[in-house]
Amino acid sequence: MSGGPYNYSYIFKYIIIGDMGVGKSCLLHQFTEKKFMADCPHTIGVEFGTRIIEVCGQKIKLQIWDTAGQERFRAVTRSYYRGAAGALIIYDITRRSTYNHLSSWLTDARNLTNPNTVIFLIGNKSDLDGQRDVTYEEAKKFADENGLKFVEASAKTGENVEEAFLETAKKIYESIQDGSLDLNAAESGVQKKPTANGARSLSADNAEGRNPSSCSC
Amino acid sequence: MADTLTDFVSEDYLQEFEGKYNAEKQNGVPSDDTTFHYAWCLVRSKLLTDVRKGVMFLEQLVKKTSVEQHHKRDYLYYLAVGNARLKEYATALKYIKSLLQLEPGNRQAQELEKAIKKSMESDAIKGVAIAGGGVLLAGALVGLGMSLLKK
Ligand SMILES: Nc1nc2c(ncn2[C@@H]2O[C@H](COP(=O)(O)OP(=O)(O)O)[C@@H](O)[C@H]2O)c(=O)[nH]1
Ligand SMILES: [Mg+2]
Repeated sequence: MSGGPYNYSYIFKYIIIGDMGVGKSCLLHQFTEKKFMADCPHTIGVEFGTRIIEVCGQKIKLQIWDTAGQERFRAVTRSYYRGAAGALIIYDITRRSTYNHLSSWLTDARNLTNPNTVIFLIGNKSDLDGQRDVTYEEAKKFADENGLKFVEASAKTGENVEEAFLETAKKIYESIQDGSLDLNAAESGVQKKPTANGARSLSADNAEGRNPSSCSC
Repeated sequence: MADTLTDFVSEDYLQEFEGKYNAEKQNGVPSDDTTFHYAWCLVRSKLLTDVRKGVMFLEQLVKKTSVEQHHKRDYLYYLAVGNARLKEYATALKYIKSLLQLEPGNRQAQELEKAIKKSMESDAIKGVAIAGGGVLLAGALVGLGMSLLKK
C-alpha cells in the first residue's frame, strides 16, 4: 500500500537447516544481534530473523527462517523451504551423527528449493577444536563433491559467521547479475524493491556497461 | 515474503496435511502429531476460516496436554500466532503469557510477543486514522452547512 521509499533494494529469503542442537539458532542470533546465546531453548517450529546487509553497493534485506531440527517438526518445516534463495545447512563438528545426516538435509534442500538456490555448508562450533569429531578435510571434500560452499564457523566466537551469510548473498546477487536467476519467477526467493533514489533497475546497471562478474566487493 | 505473523503456507502443503488428517480420521482418532501438523498449516492459511479451524484444533490439543508434556509449548506458540492473525490480540497475548510462564525469558516467545504488540498498535493506528477521517469529514460537512447557512 505505502509507495514510500525503501532503504534496501532486494529481499533475499534464506533457510537454516540441520539436526537439532547444531547451533542454527545461535548462528542466526550471532548474525542478527552479534551476540552468543549460551543456553537457548529448542526452537519452536520455525523462527524468523532479519538483517539488512550490503553487497556490491546494494542494500539487501535478508529474511531468514530458522527451522527446528526435530523429526516431529520436519514434515511441516519443509513447507518453509520453497522460494529460498539461500540455504545454510549446519552440522556440529563435535558430533559425527550431525555430519552423517547431511546427505538427507541436502536432499531435502535440493528437492524443495530451485536449481539456483545457493547452498552453503557450515561446520559449527569451531571453537571446540579439542572435541572435534569431523575433520575439516573430510567435510571440505563432501562440500566439493556436492558443489557446496563450505566454512567452519563458531556462533560462540563469531568466527566466519558474517562471512557465510554474506558470501551466500553475494553468490545470489551474482546470479541475478548474470541473468541465471529470474527475478520474475515465482519462487526465486528474491524480491526487488524500488530504491529511495528512484528505480535504479538492473537493466540500467547493465546498460551502464558494468561487467556483471566484476563485482569485487 | 513475510514474517511469522504474515507468511502463508502454500496450497499444496495445506492439502497434503489435510489429506493425512482425514485419512487418519477415517480409521479413528487422528494422532496428536498429525493434528498438530495440520493445525500448524491451517493457522498459516490465507483464509481466516482455516486459521479459525487451526486455532480450534490447537485449543483441543492444549486442553488435553499437561504442563509436563513438552509439546505444550508448541501448541501455545501457534495458538498465539493463529489468534494474532485473527486479530484476537488479547487472546494471542494470553497464550504468549502462558508460554512465558512455562519458559521465562524464552527469546523466541518474547519476539513473538513484540510482533503481536506491533501488529496490534499498527491496527489501532489504522483504526484511529479511519475514525479521524470520519471526524474530518464531519467537520467538512459542518463547515459546508455553515457556509450554506451564511448564504
Ligand atoms: N561452544 C559452542 N557452543 C555452541 C555454538 N553454537 C551453539 N552452541 C550451543 O549448542 C547448543 C544448541 O544451539 P542451538 O542454536 O539451540 O541449536 P539448534 O537446535 O541448531 O538451533 C546451545 O547450548 C548453544 O549454546 C558454538 O559455536 N560453540
Ligand atoms: Mg534452534
